[in-house]
Amino acid sequence: MNGSSTGRQRRLVAAVLAVAAATTAAWLVAGSAAAAHRDAITLTVDVFGDFGYHDLYKQYEAAHPGITIKEDSEDYAAHHTALAQHLATGAGADDIEAIEVGYIAQFAAQPQNFVDLRQYGAAELKSRYPAWKWDQAVARNGAVIGLGTDVGSLGICYRTDLFRKAGLPTDPSTLGKMWPTWSKFLAVGRTFQKKMGSRIKFIDSGSNLYNAIIGQANPAYYDASGNVIAAGNPKVKAAWNLTMRAIALGEDKGLAAFSNDWNTGFKKGTFATVTCPAWMMGYIQGQAPATKGKWNIAPVPGGGGNWGGSFLAVSKQSQHPAEAADLVKFLTSPASELYVFQHTGNLSSEIPVLKSKAVQSFRNPFFSNAPVGKIFANSALKLKPQILGPHQGDFQTAASNAIQRVEQHKQSPDASWKQFLKDVASAS
Amino acid sequence: MTAIPYTAATRRRARRALARRFESAGPLTYLFLILVVAVSIFPLYWSLVVASHTNAAVYAYPPKLLPGGNLLHNIRRLFDAGAVNVDFAKALVNSAVVSSVVTAAVVFFSALAGFAFAKLDFRGRKLLFLLVLATLIVPVQLGLVPLYIEMKHFGWLNSIKAVMAPNLVSAFGVFLMRQSIAGGVPDELIGAARVDGCNTWRVFWHVILPGIRPIAAVLGLLTFMNTWNDFLWPYIVLNARNPTVQVAISDIATVAYVPDYSLILAGCFVSILPLLLVFLVLGKQIIGGIMQGAIKG
Amino acid sequence: MTSATTSAVAAARGGRATRWLRRVDAKVSPYLYVTPFFAVFGVFGLFPLGYTAYISLTDRNLLDPVSRFVGLHNYALLIHDSYFWNAVENTFGIWFLSTVPQLSLALVIAHLLNTRLRARTFFRMAVLLPQVTSLVAVALIFTQMFGHDYGFVNYLLGQVGIHKVYWEAGRLSSWIALSVMVMWRWTGYNALIYLAAMQSIPEELYEAAAVDGARRWRQFVHVTVPMLRPTIIFTVIVSTIGGLQLFTEPYLFQPRASGGTGGSARQYQTIVMYLYEKFLGSTQFKFGYAAAIAWCLVLLIALFGLVNYLVVSRIRSAEP
Repeated sequence: MNGSSTGRQRRLVAAVLAVAAATTAAWLVAGSAAAAHRDAITLTVDVFGDFGYHDLYKQYEAAHPGITIKEDSEDYAAHHTALAQHLATGAGADDIEAIEVGYIAQFAAQPQNFVDLRQYGAAELKSRYPAWKWDQAVARNGAVIGLGTDVGSLGICYRTDLFRKAGLPTDPSTLGKMWPTWSKFLAVGRTFQKKMGSRIKFIDSGSNLYNAIIGQANPAYYDASGNVIAAGNPKVKAAWNLTMRAIALGEDKGLAAFSNDWNTGFKKGTFATVTCPAWMMGYIQGQAPATKGKWNIAPVPGGGGNWGGSFLAVSKQSQHPAEAADLVKFLTSPASELYVFQHTGNLSSEIPVLKSKAVQSFRNPFFSNAPVGKIFANSALKLKPQILGPHQGDFQTAASNAIQRVEQHKQSPDASWKQFLKDVASAS
Repeated sequence: MTAIPYTAATRRRARRALARRFESAGPLTYLFLILVVAVSIFPLYWSLVVASHTNAAVYAYPPKLLPGGNLLHNIRRLFDAGAVNVDFAKALVNSAVVSSVVTAAVVFFSALAGFAFAKLDFRGRKLLFLLVLATLIVPVQLGLVPLYIEMKHFGWLNSIKAVMAPNLVSAFGVFLMRQSIAGGVPDELIGAARVDGCNTWRVFWHVILPGIRPIAAVLGLLTFMNTWNDFLWPYIVLNARNPTVQVAISDIATVAYVPDYSLILAGCFVSILPLLLVFLVLGKQIIGGIMQGAIKG
Repeated sequence: MTSATTSAVAAARGGRATRWLRRVDAKVSPYLYVTPFFAVFGVFGLFPLGYTAYISLTDRNLLDPVSRFVGLHNYALLIHDSYFWNAVENTFGIWFLSTVPQLSLALVIAHLLNTRLRARTFFRMAVLLPQVTSLVAVALIFTQMFGHDYGFVNYLLGQVGIHKVYWEAGRLSSWIALSVMVMWRWTGYNALIYLAAMQSIPEELYEAAAVDGARRWRQFVHVTVPMLRPTIIFTVIVSTIGGLQLFTEPYLFQPRASGGTGGSARQYQTIVMYLYEKFLGSTQFKFGYAAAIAWCLVLLIALFGLVNYLVVSRIRSAEP
C-alpha cells in the first residue's frame, strides 16, 4: 500500500456516503408510511392460498376509518407450521389467523392461544352453521376458537374442448352417469387417453385425485377415539391404490399440485380434469383466464365428500382482539361469504347462504354457465363430516410427496407407500 | 510497504522483472478469461432482464435477452404494501441498521482485542488467543436451537436485536487485527507514546487505530457484506413483518402462490445494488484485502 | 500527542499515584480489551454450543413446556434414521460436485490472471463479482434459470438439441444445479486467494524452472501447484466447513420452500435442512432431535476436515 491512500480514503468516504444516502432514503419512505397511520389500527390477517378477501378488506376499511388491513398469504403447510411456531413462542402471530380443516383439531386443542370468540358474541352465530362445522372449532373447554369460512364440497372440473376432441360427451349429467365410481372415472380416462395420445393427460396431479378420494372416506386417518389408523384403514389404501392405478395407466400428468408447473399446465391445457372442491374454481380462473368458457363442472365420482375448508381465528397475541373479532365476523358474514363464492369460488359453509337464492341460482360463466351454486351447495348440505385429528394436515402433505415420488419415477408404489407410513408415524 | 520514489528507471526495472516472471497473456488467455467474466456477470444481468419485464415475459419463448422498460414499475411494486406482503422499505432499513451496527462493533472490538493480543503483556494471553483461534474452527452457527431458545427467553424474537447480538464480535476479525497490528504498527511508536505518558487506551486511540485504518476498512467491508447477505439466522428469528432484505426477498419468492419472477428478481436486484455500488467503488481494496488476508491466513 | 516537556512535567507532578495508575492500566486493561469479544462470544457462541449438547439429551419440544432427560436416545434414533443418512449423502454429494471443479477451475483462473494482463483490475473484479451477491439472490436467480419449462438453462440445452431436464426433480440433476450455484459464487473468490499465494512464490523457483526449459503449463504443474499446497489445504478446509453447512441454496430451490424437505423424495435435502425441518420446518418442533443433528454435524465437519487435511497433505508429501 503506498501513496494512493488518500484516493482510497476518498473513495471509501464516497461509498459510505452513498450507502448512508440510500439508507436515509429508505428511512424516509418507511417513516412517511408509518406517520400516515400513526393513530390508526392495523389488523393483520394471515391466510394461505387465496381467500378472495381483498375487495372485502376495502369495504371494511371504508366503513371503519382508522383501520387498515394487511394480509399475509403463505403456502398451506408453511402457513400452519409458522402459526404453530408463533403460538408456541408467544410472538409473531397475526391478529387473525386462518386455519384449515386439516389443522383445526391441532389448534382447537390449544384454546389458551386463541381469543374465545364467545366473548364477542359468536354464540348467536352457531345456528348458521352445520353442527359438525361449528364443533370442529370448539375446544374441549367450550371455547370457540374460530368461525367457519368455507367447505370444500366436490365436483369434477373438466375441459369441454378437450373432451370433445377425445370424442367424449361434454354434458355434465351424462358424464356424472358415466363415472359413478372412481374406477369408472379412470375408465373414461382410458378412452380419453387412447384418443389424445400422451401429451395431454386426463388428470392433472395424482395428489389432487387422492385428496378428493380421501375427502370422501370416513374414517380416514383417525378413528373416533383419536388413534392414527392410516396404516390399517382399507379406505386409505384404496385411495392410494386407485391413484397408483391412474399413474400406471398413464392418465396422470404428474404435476405437483399448486406448483409452478401445475400453474403453467392450466395455461397450456396439458390436462383435462381437476378434482374440484369449490375453492379450486378460484385457482383455475386465476391461473388461466384465457380458458374462460372452456371449463365445465360435473358431479364427482363416489358421491359427496369434502376436501378443505377453513376457519378464521383471533390469536391471543392480538393487540386489538375486539376489532379483530369484529373483522372475523364481517368476513364470515353471509353477505361476505356470498361475495367470495361469486367472485372467487370458495363455497360458504353457512346453511342460510347455501340455501339462499343467490347461491342456488348462481351460474359461473367461466365454467360454461354451469349451475355451480346448485351443484356445490346441495352436495355441501348433504356433507357428512370426517373424523379429524391433530396431524391430518401433515399426513396430507406426506401423501402428496409420496404420490409425487411415484409420479417422478423416484420410487415404486410399494416403497413410496412404506415411506409414507413412516412419515405418518414420525409426524404423529 | 513504503512508498518508493517512482522514477522511470524503477518502472523499467519493475517491468523487466515482471516480464521475466510473467508471460504476457496470449489471446487464448483473454478468451478464456472473458468467458469467465461473462459467466460471472450473466446471472446478474439475467436478473436485471427479468426484473425489467412483466411477469408474462418470463414465459416467452425464445426468452427475452434484453432489458425491458418495466424495472422502475417492478421496483415500485416492491414497496407497495398492496402488491407484496413484506415491508420492503423496512427491510432495507433493518438491513442497513443491522449491517452498520455489526460492522462498527466487529471492527472496534476486533481492533481492541487485536491490540491487546498483539502489543500488551498479560497473563493468559497465549491461551486466550488460542481460544480465539479455536472458535474460528467451530461452526458457531450450529448453536441455532439453543440460541433460538435464548432469544425467546430474552423476548427478542422478531426483533433485529436477535440478529445483531450474536454477530457483534468475530473471531476472524480479532485474528486479522492481531496479525496486522503485530506486523503493521512498530513497537517504537507505541513506546514513544508511552514515554509521552499515554495510557493504553490513548495508545489504542491515537496510535493503533490510525495505523490500521486500511485493514480496518477491509474488515469493515467484508463484515458489512456478510451481514447484509446473511440468511439462515435472520430467517429463523425474524418474520415478514420485520425482516431484513434477505428474509424479505425469500419471503416474496416463497409465499406467493404464483411466483412473480419479475417482482422476485427485482427484489434480488435491489438487494444486491447497495453492495454492488460499494464493490464498484472499492473493489480494488476489497480484492487487496482478500488477497492480503489469504497470505496471512 | 503531548510534547516531551509537558509529559515530563506531568510525570514529575504525578509521582506515586500516576505510577500506580499506570500499573493498574498495564495489568487490568488488556483484560478489559478482550472482554467484549469473550463476553459476547460466551453468551451467544459458547453457551449455545454447550447447551446444544444438553438439549440433545432431552426430548425438548417447542410445544411442550416440560422436557425430560432421555440420555442418548436421540442419537440412537439418529443412527437408524434413513432420512438423516440421506441428508448426509446429499450434503457430501453436493459438496464433492461443487468443490472439486470449483477449486480446479479457480486454480486455472488464478494462473491465467497471474500474467501480464491488460485491464487486470477489471478481470479481478469481475471474477469476484458473484461473491458480492447474496446467497438468497443466487438461489432465487438460479432457481428461475433452472426452471423446467421456461428456464434459461433448458432453453440453452434445447438449442443444442438436448431435451429439457427436470432439474429439481432428479437426484443427480438437482445436485448439479445446486453445485453450479455454489461454484458460481465461490470460484472467483478462491481464484483470488490462489492468485495471492502465487504472487508470493519466490521468483527464483520460476527462474530455476525456466532454466530447465519448463514451459508455461509445466511451470504451473511443477512449481505453482506444489507451492500452493498450503493454500489449497486452506481452501479445501474452508469449503468443507461451508459446504457441509449448505442450506440457503437448496432450501430456496424447492418450490415455495415447504419446510426444507428438499424435494418430494428428499433428493437434495442437506443436513442443515434436515436440522431445520426437525427444528422449525414442520409442526414437529423436535428441538432435542435437532440439537442431536447439530452435534453430529459438528462431528462430521471435524472428522471430514481432518480427512481432507490428511489427504491433501499426503499428496504434498508424495510430490517430488
